[in-house]
Amino acid sequence: MPDFLLARRRGHTALIAVLLAAGVTACGSSGGGGGTVNGAGGGSSTTSSASGASGGTLVVGAEQEPDCADWIAVCAGNIWGSYTMQVTTLPTAFDTREQDGRWALVPSDVLAGEPQVEVRGDTQTITYRIAPEAVWSDGTPISSRDFEYTALQIRDGEGIFDKTGYDLIESVETPDEKTAVVKLRSTFGPWRSLFGGSYSILPEHLLRGRDRDKIMKDGYSFSGGPWKIEKWQKGTSVTLVPNDRYWGDKPKLDKVVFQFIPDTSAAFQALKSGQVQSLYPTPQVDAISQIKAGIPNTRVEVDAETGNLEALWMNNGRFPLDDEAVRKALAYAVDRKAITERLYGPLGVSEPAQSFISPLVGAFAGSDFDVYTPDPARVEELMTGAGWSRGGDGIWAKDGKKAEMTITSLAGNKRRELTEQILQQQLKEAGFTLKITNTTPAEIFSKLAPAGDFQLGLWTLIDQYPEPSLSASFSSTSIPTKANGNSGINFYRANIPGLDQELRTVDISVDQAQRRAASLRADALIAAAVPSLPIATVPNVLMTNDAIGGPISINPSEGPWWNLEEWTRGQ
Amino acid sequence: MLRFALRRFAWSVPVVLIASFLLFWAVRATFDPVAKLRQGHDAGAVQREIERLGLDRSIPEQYVLWMKGFLTGDWGTSTRTGGSVSSLVGSALWPTLQLMFWGVLLAAFVALAIGVYTAVRQYSAGDYVLSGLAYVGISLPAFWFGLVLIQLVAVWPVQSLGWSEPPFYFVGLHSPGTSGFNLDYLRHLVLPLATLTVTLTASWSRFARTSMLDVLSSDYVRTARAKGVPPRAIVLRHALRNALAPFVTIVALDTGVLFGGLIVTEQIYSIPGMGRLFLQSLQAGDVFVLVPWMFVVAIAVVFFNLMADLSYALLDPKVKLR
Repeated sequence: MPDFLLARRRGHTALIAVLLAAGVTACGSSGGGGGTVNGAGGGSSTTSSASGASGGTLVVGAEQEPDCADWIAVCAGNIWGSYTMQVTTLPTAFDTREQDGRWALVPSDVLAGEPQVEVRGDTQTITYRIAPEAVWSDGTPISSRDFEYTALQIRDGEGIFDKTGYDLIESVETPDEKTAVVKLRSTFGPWRSLFGGSYSILPEHLLRGRDRDKIMKDGYSFSGGPWKIEKWQKGTSVTLVPNDRYWGDKPKLDKVVFQFIPDTSAAFQALKSGQVQSLYPTPQVDAISQIKAGIPNTRVEVDAETGNLEALWMNNGRFPLDDEAVRKALAYAVDRKAITERLYGPLGVSEPAQSFISPLVGAFAGSDFDVYTPDPARVEELMTGAGWSRGGDGIWAKDGKKAEMTITSLAGNKRRELTEQILQQQLKEAGFTLKITNTTPAEIFSKLAPAGDFQLGLWTLIDQYPEPSLSASFSSTSIPTKANGNSGINFYRANIPGLDQELRTVDISVDQAQRRAASLRADALIAAAVPSLPIATVPNVLMTNDAIGGPISINPSEGPWWNLEEWTRGQ
Repeated sequence: MLRFALRRFAWSVPVVLIASFLLFWAVRATFDPVAKLRQGHDAGAVQREIERLGLDRSIPEQYVLWMKGFLTGDWGTSTRTGGSVSSLVGSALWPTLQLMFWGVLLAAFVALAIGVYTAVRQYSAGDYVLSGLAYVGISLPAFWFGLVLIQLVAVWPVQSLGWSEPPFYFVGLHSPGTSGFNLDYLRHLVLPLATLTVTLTASWSRFARTSMLDVLSSDYVRTARAKGVPPRAIVLRHALRNALAPFVTIVALDTGVLFGGLIVTEQIYSIPGMGRLFLQSLQAGDVFVLVPWMFVVAIAVVFFNLMADLSYALLDPKVKLR
């Protein structure tokens, strides 16, 4: 069964039925059964496989099928769309690359260099200079008109997935073919995510005046990347072939087929039988068991430095979690390290998350949650201090009401069910009763969470690119209310004094040092109030047949096939 | 016969309408059609969509609007893919129909043969073996059996025997880039068909056996035996036709259910059919697909019920069509 996560962007998030975001790799130990496991860790490493010959077809098992390929539309929330088609076929102004051990947005080969940024008062001007050699697959130069078209489509269009940042655009000027000047009404901290991040640059000469959604949603023939879409056979596969006009390194493979295999067990069997040569599975319990058992002739890359953060979400507006002392007591009652080791230990991942900012955005993260380690004495102190006392059954009670809570997660997700069972046991020992009532993701994210009709929740937030986005989850303005049309994903009803201001600084400042300092202060405020509890970064796992060569590594933002043009296939 | 068929069809219409309303009401009450939009900060977009889709009207009004659209071919737009729902359901129907056609054909033929054999050879060693296997088949969980088949028939030859490729494939109904009825298709079809038919064959063979035993113990068969009619003629000419009526009924009823009941098989074998469409839509809370999907399946169930009634009447002359 697919895993479900909540994607967050600055100011906006969208529910997506996605698998995992990507990560980086580091070398490690050997796996059993003839396969090799490259272990988790910080920093990245690239595995070069046995030298493969050029040409040939690579078949990849994809756990999910993208919903649509109009990447700026509401229907395009599935991260597998980005992995399979968007990253490989469309140009962006910025790419996610590793710099000094941290992931960052850096100018792509579409640009001639770093854009020029000018701040005057509250306004911001960004001047992009486009590389002269950058062209679309039909030979038309990638131009400033493409920037203008893309920006205005997102800013003014209907049914757009996320307008964050683009809604600040006052104008886009095109003084010449290769220069685009974007003026923002107010400063925008994550400005590098414009024309990048989750979006790409679109070809104005092919789309202007036409129905963009209709042209793109089922796959498109144009390309500004190393690959172009040959065919999207719905329900079955997406086939990519090289874009001969790409100005960078040309793909070495003749063809790449992403074959949709939603069942994890069947996908592993397909890898074993050679029907597919690469997998990017969600680290569910059964997948980890199979990896641990070893898969012959298969190399496994594991990375814990991802954008996927699994957390115990607390409804701060519901008894007993409306009491900060209870939330803190829970934080001291839960052994997060034990949970992380139980879930991901076989992959070499054992350290719990110490911030709500994922490792992908690690430059902005503190580690303030590291004070919350199991401490029964502290639980006693906090609970008794808040007027609670233990009953004959060992359960805390106050004013005749017991400390009973219900946790809600996604039915059928074995990893979450296991986590819930461990939590149930740990909390019982600390004097809390935990009931489990799981349901469908649609029920949780379209009804229960927005309405605040839950006590505890267990799900994953995903950062899609290396820009901090805590305001989406914890700013008081993101609490779903009637006034804001029940939008926003501060489902937890967190309202922490002083936090909104810090988060706003992160969102609007263009001074990276200032943003980082504000983010660290925000992190500390959150850890002090414990509006929820981060548990673990969900690692990414990439499996490839030994015959596949390349530099093979996981990019936590762009996915495992971010450099597919460099991959080769041997015999 | 025609009048009977028309009357039964007419009775089916209110059944389908009532079922569709209940389904519509249940899905609307369970899911928020604009949930995806609510995740954003554009409250205006949510309101515009509510007005555009008529979601601010009462459920009966919405149902009437939806039914009008359904009957005129406008099944709406999927919130998950942004595509036309009728295209989505249409694309999903074809793989499911292929599986159903081959599965029902194969299972019915084999089940009937087993049923007849085990009834004629009651309490023989063959009867005991086939009956035992039938019980095993009935109790096999499809997901487990499917994965075991994949391991034994597709993975093991590659891993243990060193074959360059598996004899049978288990991802989809065709290899990427191929189509049509060819060897590649057959190599993809074997394992899902085996998974689908094992339970059907097992349960239907028990019906066929019971039905044949009933007929074989009837007076007219005893009379035929007494008159010296050859055993083969008794079974094939006199007994089988009467035994077919209940057998065909159960096959028809099960076939209707299969329309929406191949979720596990389609999931394991990555076949983009109706079952997988339902699962994807359910997980995404895509109400605009869920309602027509359920409606189509309800129509299929009612249709095959009708077929069961008609076939019963055709096969058994004692049944009066009124």
